[in-house]
Amino acid sequence: AVLKKRLVKLVVNFLFYFRTDEAEPIGALLLEHCRITKEEENVFSISFFEEPERKYCFECATEEQCQEWVEALKRASYEFLRRSLIFYRNEIQKMTGKDPLEQYGISEEARFQLGAHRP
Amino acid sequence: HHHHAHHHGTSYQRRWFVLKGNLLFYFEERESREPVGLVVLEGCTVELCEAAEEFAFAIRFDDAGARAYVLVADGQAAMEAWVKALSRASFDYMRLVVRELEKQLEEACKSLAACHKSPRRSSSSGRKRHLSNPGLLPVQEKPTTLENGYSTWGSGNCVAGGATCSDHDEGQAKPLPLPPRQRSAAGSATGSPAPGLPRAMLECPVSPETICFSKLHNWYGQEIAVLRWEWQERQNRGRP
Repeated sequence: AVLKKRLVKLVVNFLFYFRTDEAEPIGALLLEHCRITKEEENVFSISFFEEPERKYCFECATEEQCQEWVEALKRASYEFLRRSLIFYRNEIQKMTGKDPLEQYGISEEARFQLGAHRP
Repeated sequence: HHHHAHHHGTSYQRRWFVLKGNLLFYFEERESREPVGLVVLEGCTVELCEAAEEFAFAIRFDDAGARAYVLVADGQAAMEAWVKALSRASFDYMRLVVRELEKQLEEACKSLAACHKSPRRSSSSGRKRHLSNPGLLPVQEKPTTLENGYSTWGSGNCVAGGATCSDHDEGQAKPLPLPPRQRSAAGSATGSPAPGLPRAMLECPVSPETICFSKLHNWYGQEIAVLRWEWQERQNRGRP
């Protein structure tokens, strides 16, 4: 496989990639249901559960940059955010006895979807 | 999962909508395997709108050039539920809420620590145990992905409901079904195995400071930062 120089941009849970001289992205990867793997030096890959053998490889300028990307991408999914939300909510509930999501007026239904902590 | 109608001209298209996180998929019908389209709910507002039909609402994007989606719900309750769900669907909103809760948890830890500061506390032995206790695993401050970047995108976070999309069809009413009950274990709402949560921290009686995961994280983080710096220094000195 040939390495192509791309401008890569992480926007919420999408990884856009551009040809370096163009304003519009060529494409994007939706960072859900995926696995971020640190490969050899300066390299990481993204693969999707539905197609685990297909790896999208990215080579960074430095190892440090590579680590930063891996960390950022692992936290980039909506699913990660959702689980963080559930975690914090439960911890706060345990400590204070109150549901912190009430103040956001998040309906019972929505709270349900977030995995309501039933005592 | 719901049928809404989208208005284009005078007629509406009935579609089956599924909200997954910040993505609104729409299908020809409930049984369809592949979606007909997708709306990314970032940079948009969801509001009630003026339309001939009752229970109409619109998804409008900040980008003036982008098209708006006008949807018609089955009834008042459905419309309200959809508007709420869609307006809270963005990644940015979720991130905002998570950061806010993160702060709240830290504050709760602090005030709890303050409560524990009583003269009779046997601090010295407690602290020692805190520092050397191998049982305290500071590994995670949050439920991170399961392993090596493995994230889950389960079906548990779907909002059921119909909404209309950009095609043209006749709208039809169907009641909004209740969302499925989630398993209550933290982190496993999607049905996937829960990552190891730092339960040990809250249960640890050693010192009030150990309750707060972020403090533990910082403390261990500092140790690691120092070790790393020392290692780097050794590396630098080792070079010819």
